[in-house]
Amino acid sequence: MAALRSTPFRVLGSARPSLRLAAAAPVRGFAQLADGATKSLHASEGNERLKTFQIYRWNPDQPTEKPRMQSYTLDLDKTGPMVLDALIRIKNELDPTVTFRRSCREGICGSCAMNINGTNTLACLCRIPTETNADLKIYPLPHTYVVKDLVPDLTQFYKQYKSIKPYLQRDTPSPDGKEYRQSKADRKKLDGLYECILCACCSTSCPSYWWNSEEYLGPAILLQSYRWLVDSRDERHEQRKDALNNSMSLYRCHTILNCTRTCPKGLNPGLAIAEIKKEMSF
Amino acid sequence: MVSIARSALLRQTGAAGPIARPSVIAHGVRATAFHTTAQKSLLAPPPQRIEGSVNDPAPVPETSPSHGSYHWTFDRVVAASLIPLTVAPFAAGSLNPTLDAILASTLLIHSHTGFQNIVIDYIPKKRMPGIRRLFVWGLNAATAVIGLALYEFETTDVGLVETIKRIWRA
Amino acid sequence: MIAQRAGTTALRRAAGGPNTFFTANVARLGLASPMSTTQTRLVATQKLTPTDGDAILAQQRLRRPVSPHLEIYDKMQTYFGGSAWQRITGAGFSGALYVFGASYLAAPLLGWHLESASLAAAFGALPFAVKAGAKFVLAWPFVFHAINGVRHLTYDFAVGFQRRTIVQGGWYIWGASIVGGLYLAFFV
Repeated sequence: MAALRSTPFRVLGSARPSLRLAAAAPVRGFAQLADGATKSLHASEGNERLKTFQIYRWNPDQPTEKPRMQSYTLDLDKTGPMVLDALIRIKNELDPTVTFRRSCREGICGSCAMNINGTNTLACLCRIPTETNADLKIYPLPHTYVVKDLVPDLTQFYKQYKSIKPYLQRDTPSPDGKEYRQSKADRKKLDGLYECILCACCSTSCPSYWWNSEEYLGPAILLQSYRWLVDSRDERHEQRKDALNNSMSLYRCHTILNCTRTCPKGLNPGLAIAEIKKEMSF
Repeated sequence: MVSIARSALLRQTGAAGPIARPSVIAHGVRATAFHTTAQKSLLAPPPQRIEGSVNDPAPVPETSPSHGSYHWTFDRVVAASLIPLTVAPFAAGSLNPTLDAILASTLLIHSHTGFQNIVIDYIPKKRMPGIRRLFVWGLNAATAVIGLALYEFETTDVGLVETIKRIWRA
Repeated sequence: MIAQRAGTTALRRAAGGPNTFFTANVARLGLASPMSTTQTRLVATQKLTPTDGDAILAQQRLRRPVSPHLEIYDKMQTYFGGSAWQRITGAGFSGALYVFGASYLAAPLLGWHLESASLAAAFGALPFAVKAGAKFVLAWPFVFHAINGVRHLTYDFAVGFQRRTIVQGGWYIWGASIVGGLYLAFFV
């Protein structure tokens, strides 16, 4: 694997397919201000931690071209600790055409949700694994339609969110005419639910949602559904339950539980869905 | 998986000959083709189409407990009742004919709902309504036939558990 | 500006020039290189009605690829996921039941002998290795489906959803089902 990694450098050093030569070939400092090939060839040797990032690329301006993986190598010592730092650095210094969504860089906006090394997570909350011999693979959220590179189209996801009426529905005015009060115990029921930022990591980790995203709501939306179902102030409890009571919306969940395993916020969509099913069963 | 593409890349660079050709690779930026071979996926999703505007909610299906909550609860009850029916022959060594018949019919129902779930999951109604109908009714017919077969088997032979036991100990 | 940037990057890649920090040289490259003129795109805007805009978007959507899923997702959660194997083992047994039932009905017409006595005799005549192999191939999925089925039923009571329980349970089920399968194959 290490020998494979050094192929880029072999082109510079020697074209002879000798592994020892390849390993001994000077390692260049990437993405740094260097005023020419000579300087970078003499760049510090051995004490750089180079990590290769493989990124899914697809450009809507060339729709006939197939998606491909593109590799970028960065020195980890000059990069921030998170995958988002690396992505931003790649975009700034290596290839400005790399496209991804990002905003808050602290796991509260949910923009940078993507598939990193096989699991969905937020790039801003995901540390770059420090071992340098394995490439880091970055894909868009699985089984989504790709707008460009790492940007998926979440229109259907948002439309489904809208379909569950994610707002308080209530006819009775509050007794004191001020605010709708609830007990501490009732408020506690919303913990672990209201924190969901709708990043779609869980929904796009769910094989059931992969096959049936047109009709199955998916873990994120069902967790939001449960958030309104358990809210003591909401008065459309039965209507909300009826909206889920069909073969597709809720019951395509087969407790695969990829959702709970992947949630970057540590929430438990699988449990929320189980609670809905339990409530609707008896 | 990726190593396949890598070795192809290696071969390419090797073929470049003794002239060290400056290329994309020298910048630490490499591109390899992504493995979307021409193989046709069984559940290949169709091109993206969005019904209605971005601001319209997704349609809410009609309420139908017999396909929803009742069906789910029934499924679980059947599955749970299989636990004692499975444990009993191991504990007692055999099953009396009545319990054996109950086991066979419970297994049939469990199989039927399991197959139903597979059909609903993998043959979307919207995308291929004809095939879906074919499979649903095909499954119903198959289950009826197998029900008849199990009736025959239970009434003429030694029963499910005893048969398995005899084969296992043969 | 953005178009120019993209052009210079493409140029830099095509020419394979020195490892320059390109943003520092955008202007220089853009002016000096004769190719830059062909690479630069003119950006023009045009007025569109919302309907026309939607039509363009709908056209773009049709061309979008679907991002990879099964082939890239964590194998422990897809190919080795308990839920997937619950379905595979279950469908295997149910399929076997259906095939056996259909053959049993057809047996008198085709002259087959599928009575328990002849089945047992046929199985008993096989060599030991084949018998042991066949028993394990049947016993492992049976134990797996049974244990994992109970696990799924506990899930339905909203129990056992801690992340660690899920991950560890996934491993235990593989271990326990293999041990149980071996036990059923050789000691029962």
